[in-house]
Amino acid sequence: MSTLSKSLRRTAALLLALPLLAAGQAVADGPVVSTSWLAERLGDERIRVVEVSVEPGRFERGHIPGAVNFRWHTDLVDPVRRDIASPEAFSKLVSEAGIDADTTVVLYGDHNNWFAAWGAWIFDLYGHDNVVLLDGGRDKWQRENREMSRRPARHAATDYQLDVAKPELRARLADVLEVVEGEHRAALLDIRSPAEFEGRIFAPPGIQELAIRAGHIPGAKNVPWDRVVRDDGTFRDTEELRRLYADIGIDGSDPVIVYCRIGERSAHSWFVLSRILGYEARQYDGSWTEWGNAVGVPIDNPAGTVWGGT
Amino acid sequence: MIFPALRVLVPVALVIALVAIGLRIGDALGIGPDPAFTLLAGALFGVLLQRSRFCFYCILRELFEDRDSRASYGLLVALAVGSLGYVAMFGSWVADPGAGRLPPDAHIGPVSWVLVVAGLAFGIGMTLSGSCISAHLYRLGEGSVLSPFALVGALAGFVLGFASWDHLYVETISRAPTEWLPARFGYGGAVLLQLAVLGALALLLMRRLPARPARDAAAWRLRAVLDAVFVRRWPAWVGGAGVGMLGFIAYFRTSPLGVTAELGSRARTLAERLDLIPGRLAGLDGFSGCATVVIDALMTENGVFILALVAGSLAAAIGAGAFRPRRQPLHRYPLALLGGVLMGWGAMVALGCTVGVLLSGISAFALSGWVFGAAVVAGVWVSLAVRNRVRMRLSARHPAG
Repeated sequence: MSTLSKSLRRTAALLLALPLLAAGQAVADGPVVSTSWLAERLGDERIRVVEVSVEPGRFERGHIPGAVNFRWHTDLVDPVRRDIASPEAFSKLVSEAGIDADTTVVLYGDHNNWFAAWGAWIFDLYGHDNVVLLDGGRDKWQRENREMSRRPARHAATDYQLDVAKPELRARLADVLEVVEGEHRAALLDIRSPAEFEGRIFAPPGIQELAIRAGHIPGAKNVPWDRVVRDDGTFRDTEELRRLYADIGIDGSDPVIVYCRIGERSAHSWFVLSRILGYEARQYDGSWTEWGNAVGVPIDNPAGTVWGGT
Repeated sequence: MIFPALRVLVPVALVIALVAIGLRIGDALGIGPDPAFTLLAGALFGVLLQRSRFCFYCILRELFEDRDSRASYGLLVALAVGSLGYVAMFGSWVADPGAGRLPPDAHIGPVSWVLVVAGLAFGIGMTLSGSCISAHLYRLGEGSVLSPFALVGALAGFVLGFASWDHLYVETISRAPTEWLPARFGYGGAVLLQLAVLGALALLLMRRLPARPARDAAAWRLRAVLDAVFVRRWPAWVGGAGVGMLGFIAYFRTSPLGVTAELGSRARTLAERLDLIPGRLAGLDGFSGCATVVIDALMTENGVFILALVAGSLAAAIGAGAFRPRRQPLHRYPLALLGGVLMGWGAMVALGCTVGVLLSGISAFALSGWVFGAAVVAGVWVSLAVRNRVRMRLSARHPAG
């Protein structure tokens, strides 16, 4: 083959690749992406945008163009076993959304990405590392008057089989009990409001009381989830976040176990600890609704409230 | 009689005020996803109801007593237009209706004998008070002096509903099926079925159509057009088509039409403060419908909607010269109050009224909408018959009075 035809072919290949280069990298270079980053890449089939919102009906009335809808209440959990979605169910869900091993998954949702962060935790547990959160979530996208679509998107289905690959990202009741009883070293982080942490109330105002004890897991530290975000819902700078946790003695030297009431807001703080700060962090999804009700496990209740008592 | 200039100035001032409020509350939090739209939709609903006298009780009374079915066609048109709009959205939101998932917050409720009794009570309450709840709201805009009594009665009825809810829910409603027609027949089948039923009713009602009035030759002169738009009652089908369209557009943008969520929520909040009802009501918050919650906020989405409804109706009524507060015979005040109580109880246990359950429910292909609607019609029919008998007996006893 002549050198001329070789160089011609190389030029052609470069020309063909040009649009891809111009469209920018499909792979994000951090755990969060900005609204403008995503806006420039809408329609890129290497990226799949997934909405996970707390409130049903949000997605249908407008979503980021091309996004698919994962329902936390039925798609990402197993309501019968009170467990995360099973490998079969989750594999089916992501395959129908046209996601495969090379897809960059961008998650977003309402309420400061609470359930979207749960989604990120599930993807990570199942070994799909290429998953990021849209900084500021749905609210910021809408506040910036960016494009919203009401049309359902259809993507060619894949066959992507997943299984739990990182069980170490999840803590069970027994794991937490071992920490409380001093058999294992780990920091415990409670991200609920101070009133819940101190046992003054059993559940946030307006939410039904699902635990019969108030208070927190002995030894836990309290950093409410909203301390990690700015007013516009975006995550604070990495250095600020590092200092925030270092102030209460969480600096990554020990593993962290994070929990809340039902395990969804704690996924948001887990995301900060694990994905942004790179600490060894586990999410205790049983959270206070399991611990507060479990028989034979100790609590710390500074307020001394007794459920149903006078 | 109102000074003629006011008939133009007051409605214009009201419209300007609504637009000004709409511009200001656009970003307000806690008033639903789109407060300005909610305000506009409420005002438009008020105008539509007032201009076409879209009142469920009047429709049925004219049908049963005057043997005139013209207004009934407004309701049939509203349901047909609403259904077609809803199904267009359902198709894109729930691709497979048989998959066991219901469309988000559509008013599809459980069907049981409780719904039937609620509809009967609601229908009887309509006869006693002279209107359904949505019509009492637009009648406020016409200066009705009975409507405040009916609405206060409805608040009390809601409290009775909450007090009876736990028992009805545990024994009956929790076991009742929630039937969504497309889940059983597919979208095509459900549309065919529903339009066939509406078509059959339309054919049946033709027997009670009065002779066609002679056409007005001067109908297209400007003055006559203004008169037709602003003063005379709109043809039933115009109001019906408007209500049907507003129904699915509201569902698309914010939430299905309903007028009792705010009344019920205020009643629930008050009753709970007074320790009349338990703080938690079993299963209530899990239903889509005119759900009631305990509220602390000064203003809510449904609150904006019904206030705008009254303002829209007031503007339309003043423009039409239909704002006429009139003293009523003394016995009608307690009857309005009692009718309100029956309607409040019915609307609470049925999770909505003639707008929330009948209109938004049937538009969403809910069996609950049809069952409630049939019970309301039966309730009005029976109570009208009883009322006429009582009247006959009274006039026989007092032939002079």
